[in-house]
Amino acid sequence: MSLRTRLLSAFGVVVLIPLLVFGLGIRREMAGRVTGEVQRRVDALVGVINADIARENDRIAPRLAALKSAILADNRLYSDVVHAQDRGYVLDYAGSAMHLAGLDFLQIQDGEGRVVSSGHFRNEFDRLGPQARGLTLVRANAAEGPFLALVTSDSVRVGSQTLRLIGGVAVDSAFLSRLARDPELGVALLLPDSSLADSNAFVVGERRLPYVDAVDGPGREEQARLVVTRSSAMMTALERNVNLWFAAAVLVAALVALLVAGWLSTRISQPVEAGMRDMERRIAIGDLARQVNHDVKNGLAPLRNVFRHLSQVARDKPADLAQVFTERQGTVESSINYLETLAANYAKLSPQPERKATDVNAVVRETVAGSSVVRTKLTDGLPLVSADALVLRRIIENLVSNAVDSLDGKSGTVTVTTERGSGVVRIAVADSGRGMSKAELDRAFNDFYTTKPGGTGLGLSIVRRLVLDSSGSLNVETEPGKGSTFVIELPAQ
Amino acid sequence: MLARYLSAIACLGVVAACAHPRLGTGGAGVPTTGGGEAPKQAVNEACVLSTGAVTAHKATITIGLTEAVDPRDAPLPRNDAERLVFRHLYETPVRLDCQGHATPQLAEEWVRDDGGRRWTFRLREGAQFWDGAPVTAQDVVFGRGGPGYTLSALETRVVTVSLAKQSDDLPPALSDWGLAVTKAAPDSSWPIGTGAYWATSATTTAQEIRAHSARGDTLVFRMATSGDARDLLDAVDLLVTRDVALRDYAATLKDMSVVALPWDRTYVYVTAEAGGTRFDGLEQSVRAEARRADGGFWWLDLRACGSSGSSISPPAASGQHRIFYVRSDPTARELAGRLAALTHGVATPRSADDFNDAIMAGHDWGYVLALPRFTADQCRTAKELLPTWPATITALVDTRPTAIVRRGVARWATDLDGTLHLVP
Repeated sequence: MSLRTRLLSAFGVVVLIPLLVFGLGIRREMAGRVTGEVQRRVDALVGVINADIARENDRIAPRLAALKSAILADNRLYSDVVHAQDRGYVLDYAGSAMHLAGLDFLQIQDGEGRVVSSGHFRNEFDRLGPQARGLTLVRANAAEGPFLALVTSDSVRVGSQTLRLIGGVAVDSAFLSRLARDPELGVALLLPDSSLADSNAFVVGERRLPYVDAVDGPGREEQARLVVTRSSAMMTALERNVNLWFAAAVLVAALVALLVAGWLSTRISQPVEAGMRDMERRIAIGDLARQVNHDVKNGLAPLRNVFRHLSQVARDKPADLAQVFTERQGTVESSINYLETLAANYAKLSPQPERKATDVNAVVRETVAGSSVVRTKLTDGLPLVSADALVLRRIIENLVSNAVDSLDGKSGTVTVTTERGSGVVRIAVADSGRGMSKAELDRAFNDFYTTKPGGTGLGLSIVRRLVLDSSGSLNVETEPGKGSTFVIELPAQ
Repeated sequence: MLARYLSAIACLGVVAACAHPRLGTGGAGVPTTGGGEAPKQAVNEACVLSTGAVTAHKATITIGLTEAVDPRDAPLPRNDAERLVFRHLYETPVRLDCQGHATPQLAEEWVRDDGGRRWTFRLREGAQFWDGAPVTAQDVVFGRGGPGYTLSALETRVVTVSLAKQSDDLPPALSDWGLAVTKAAPDSSWPIGTGAYWATSATTTAQEIRAHSARGDTLVFRMATSGDARDLLDAVDLLVTRDVALRDYAATLKDMSVVALPWDRTYVYVTAEAGGTRFDGLEQSVRAEARRADGGFWWLDLRACGSSGSSISPPAASGQHRIFYVRSDPTARELAGRLAALTHGVATPRSADDFNDAIMAGHDWGYVLALPRFTADQCRTAKELLPTWPATITALVDTRPTAIVRRGVARWATDLDGTLHLVP
């Protein structure tokens, strides 16, 4: 695994995990806030329902009170009730009274709870009606079937009889719709042993009400619930949307983080890798130098010994000098041979130039072929030069490469020019790059000097050596910020 | 057989001598274009409403209607309003007055023969349709008849009624609405009749029906368009109602007489449940003038009609105990409500047509149905109103209408079935 890959992975882990944790935290916080907000709305709606029901009670009670007054003032009703005369008038009484009072439910019951007159169902007389104490939800009969009413009661004494007035308003879908003022919350009525009809809704708040089912008789008091519901479908959709946006945000952030991590790892890994390559190169050269040093020392040590011996003999026994020299001559020759062999072996490490007539223009064309940056101005009819074509190509490659690098990725030009000189062929490699200062130029041809990240610092040193090996010359014209021109002159054949 | 017919015809020549004691005779009518005038019949004064002396003849008499009248129902009325209108437009061979006496309509003379198994009657001289076409015996007998009797045309104006059983009295079926003589009128919504008054689509609007007679007088049947029948009372000479509140209001008007008409309607509860139930105090449940249903009911024995003991299985009622009634009938609604209260059922309104379909199908728990207390043809009425499945029919209450009559304008009489009509 490369350093860049390792860095990229490390950056990814370092960035993505916190990002994910951060995102999850935000999501959790958001869900909590949404839940809290909904709960506040539910609480508010429950409060509204309580207020509305209390208001209904406040509306019904005065109407029953007014009805009491009307009953007491009605002599015919009094007569018919007390003396049991025209029952038809009594039976019709509650119907008229109910409509005048703006009620949906009105029963006048006798002391036993039997219906004396019913406004919503004229012909249910003599049945036992519901016993409502306080505000009560009643399921009552009408001719067309049962219905629900929110009722309250009052009583009035007529003659020796106590009549109970039970009046109220219908609890129907319109009533529930009036309670459901929050468009995202529903209100439903749950009677005992009933459940929500909408399977996609769930209860989030409730108000309990006394309930009497008086369809088949007076009934007994149970509990009904006015419940506030939320649509699970809506919540599911909301959750899905949140998750979708959350996933999208994390994905985008992760992509951005990966891009940044990739860029950073590249910025960091490139100089480090270049330094490592330089170091490896220096180590290799050092190893080679040590080896050369060792080998040369091995060759020189016998010579030094012979020389010391001869010096000693010359000082102490000059007469024996010739004899000793003769004795040690073999050693000297052996060492010299060793060193020559050693030199020949080292020489084999670098290829030997093969000088022959070479077309400079051809070499230049081959070298810069395919480059979109380098332009050429080649003079036709140049004489051939005596040089190794490979060496010449290496020279031009080095100079062109340096020239391109000096542009630092900016727009600029690199031009290779050939022309005839006086007995020479001149090759110029010019760039419009950063150029060199005087100090830089002074060191430019030193071994291991470089201004390029990852450079070996041997390029120009080798170029100069190769030019000199080809019996040529190398000159440089440069100015910081304006570029450099390297001019090579090779002797023409 | 021919000799018998000839002797019967001969008898008609001396009708006064040969006629049944309840013979009705009418004066010769004067045929006119657009309608045949009915004879001036002898009126049983016992059947004339006591509304004071008529001091001046009024050319236009206005009658208020509180129910819809559909000419397509003619000549068989489906409500009180249609009964009142059709009675003046269409004729049956005879009518039975409030005491059950036959009075001439299309038939002016009749004779009993064959020990009461055959009755022969002659059509009124000059009897004609509104368009002037003479009424023939064939017009009377064509497509008519019923269980227990057969009609045949003996001559152009002579019709014989052959009975399965002998009868000392004129067969009441001859007064049945089903024998009213009409013919289709291609350019009118009203079938062409033979009554003293005629009406066409040109004389009919949504607000009123104008029926004219050959004598030049007019009956205006005016609808209670506002929905409050009290508004009509200022402008009408007659209003028939079953609303006791309207009756009580009319009783306060000095120009109006309020006269109770015969008990003519019985509300029954029809159910597939066996055994039946007795419901007490139902008359308190209704706002109409009502009494406990009383008397021998014609629907108790329909064996002669061949419908009794039907082999059709009783339909199964399912689900809610729904008690159907006709939406436009307030008394039926109140009774259905009371029955619903007593049986833990649900009163369910239906239009008249839907109610009829429902009761014939019999898929529901029960039906509150209005039946006439008297019918001249039990079989026809049963066929029209009662289900064919074996139902338990429980009589609930009798009701009767009230005539609100403007004093001194016209004389009104009732038939045996309670139908009110203008005394000629």
